[in-house]
Amino acid sequence: MSNEKKTSKLSILTKGIIKENPVLVLLLGTCPTLATTTSAINGLGMGISTLVVLVCSNIVIALLKNIIPSKVRIPCYIVVIAGFVTIVQLLLKAYLPALDSALGLFIPLIVVNCIILGRAEMFASKNSVVDSALDGVGMGIGFTLALGVMGLIREFLGAGTAFGIAIYANTAVAPAGLFILAPGGFFVFALLVAAVNYFSGGKAIKKKEFGCEGCMLVDTCGGVAAGGCAGKEADK
Amino acid sequence: MTSVVLPAIIVAVIGLIMGIILTIASKLMYVPVDEKVAAISEALPGANCGGCGFAGCDDYANAFSENPDLSPSLCPVGGADVAAKIAGILGVEAGDVDPQVAMVMCTGNVSVTKQILEADRLHTCKDAKMFYGGQWACTFGCLGLGDCADACNYNAIFNAGGVAQVDKEACIGCGACSKVCPQHIIDMIPKKKLVHVACKSAVKGAITRRACSTGCIGCMKCQKACKFDAIKVENNLASIDYDACKNCGLCAKECPTGAILNQRVKKAPVQKPAAAEAAPAQA
Amino acid sequence: MTGILAIMMGVILTNNYVLSQFLGICPFLGVSKKVDSAVGMGVAVTFVMVLATAVTWPIQYLVLDRFGIGYLQTIVFILVIASLVQLVEMTLKKYMPPLYKSLGVFLPLITTNCAVLGVCINNINDGYNYVESLFCSAGAGIGFLLAMLLFAGLREKLEDSKGIPECFQGIPITLITASILSLSFMAFSGVVDGIFN
Repeated sequence: MSNEKKTSKLSILTKGIIKENPVLVLLLGTCPTLATTTSAINGLGMGISTLVVLVCSNIVIALLKNIIPSKVRIPCYIVVIAGFVTIVQLLLKAYLPALDSALGLFIPLIVVNCIILGRAEMFASKNSVVDSALDGVGMGIGFTLALGVMGLIREFLGAGTAFGIAIYANTAVAPAGLFILAPGGFFVFALLVAAVNYFSGGKAIKKKEFGCEGCMLVDTCGGVAAGGCAGKEADK
Repeated sequence: MTSVVLPAIIVAVIGLIMGIILTIASKLMYVPVDEKVAAISEALPGANCGGCGFAGCDDYANAFSENPDLSPSLCPVGGADVAAKIAGILGVEAGDVDPQVAMVMCTGNVSVTKQILEADRLHTCKDAKMFYGGQWACTFGCLGLGDCADACNYNAIFNAGGVAQVDKEACIGCGACSKVCPQHIIDMIPKKKLVHVACKSAVKGAITRRACSTGCIGCMKCQKACKFDAIKVENNLASIDYDACKNCGLCAKECPTGAILNQRVKKAPVQKPAAAEAAPAQA
Repeated sequence: MTGILAIMMGVILTNNYVLSQFLGICPFLGVSKKVDSAVGMGVAVTFVMVLATAVTWPIQYLVLDRFGIGYLQTIVFILVIASLVQLVEMTLKKYMPPLYKSLGVFLPLITTNCAVLGVCINNINDGYNYVESLFCSAGAGIGFLLAMLLFAGLREKLEDSKGIPECFQGIPITLITASILSLSFMAFSGVVDGIFN
């Protein structure tokens, strides 16, 4: 336990970006990943909103960790996270209405994003405020990057634009509209996870042999063997 | 000010109401739990990894209420510490509990039995069983396609010439292979017991003999040889009662086909202490 | 009557919650390995969805809108849903132990399932009345069950395949299967309109 605490601040920050990227390695938060990456801007917008909520809730939960009784910790975490999500919701409605209408339902659904509750349960409830904030930033950046990349791919292939700028949209080459739709989302996500598998030599997913890292249902879920967890399924 | 106080009060009231409902419900609908099970649940790491062979830590803890003799050392994540804690809760010495291992009750490798169907498209034992009971001449035996090896997380079971075999030292007794075997020929047996009837063929001796040269033909020579009434032949198949068996190996010596395996014979020096233990016990 | 039927057909087929609206993906990928657990999860989700709508719809219109605090929707809804699921779990454990053994394991998983919160918010945004909301939630749950059942069947067959390249094994091939299933559901987009218009 003491060895873990001695890991440098930098490693806490960077592990969420590549090595333990919440979307591509830990496979958490798949709903917003698939739904909001219809364009690069939407993906990045969602990623940044989630990052803000993640960092703020990590900080508050780390501050309150000694006060919240263990039995009611999950509902308490949910309330804290929901509070920050509401703040982000209102800010987006006021200052970025275009993004708000593009993301639609998925902004309030940030509250049930497994990443946030998972990091709160696994990390913020056991570590200092600074460490938790860094972890939140790292995971948030990883999430944003993954969403941005996926959004860019889907937008490029599906609409011929990138960040809203037409690349081949108005030329004779017709973009494959399917990529913007549901099946395209699943497909591009599959390819990204396969790419991560390939480049990490299968180590990334195989790491999840035991334990349910990042999953907040670790002591309530029916268990990996009963099929209650997406994690272990990844390496079978 | 009211625009801040009012919503705060409303949310607080809703939270309070739900809290009260839940508290009342938890008292009214209290389901008594076995204290030991609850204590064991606390001692387990809570990772719900399934390595013990059960569906999560709570499932393993609950299994103790049905089977008090279950091994306390099945948790790979918790290791020796958790095993000792559970043993303490159960009130047994961690060492007293009989560790179990898996054993494949079949000796039908490629040299003693024959393949009677084309098996190119069969990739799993489950498929093979559905395909006319398998590609081997004996329909009760090991199909050799490795469903058990796939299920094992500890590399304790491997293919030894067409039949699965368990590495007794690597096996932790989680039972995953036993559950997945479609032929139900992997039994969980006490690690200390060394004599086993490695066959499950329940058809008449002549038919078994034709299918496999090391199968049990139900001749009853073992039953006559045993001094402890530990082996009985029923349905053309011998089976050992491990509580009565003293590891003497007489039945294995008498068996004409070699269906009974005596694990003492191969590693005589190592097994002597076990035999010495058995001898005073019988005296 | 046709209105309700149109709503239900729409949400089961055309706007399937999992395959078109991307809600409830985590349990979809996790629990759909075997047909039995898929059915159990689907039934549990339907049940929780209907119950959650039954409670949150009145709260929205009688409490939140009345006092003009619609912005608290997220917080209040999620609190109510979490407590409700806890209550259901306790009730099942006490009064229906066999049902608890088969379904109870999924209930904590459903609490934070985006599909449940999603359907509650969607009902409000779409402006359905109470009865329409309940049927819409039931339909959403049935759509979820349908998608999971089909997917579990596909995955069971996929398990035995041995030709999958190593980097695609596990989640990637599952997702590609899901994309093909989603594609097939897109074919329903003309059907509902055609029947009801």
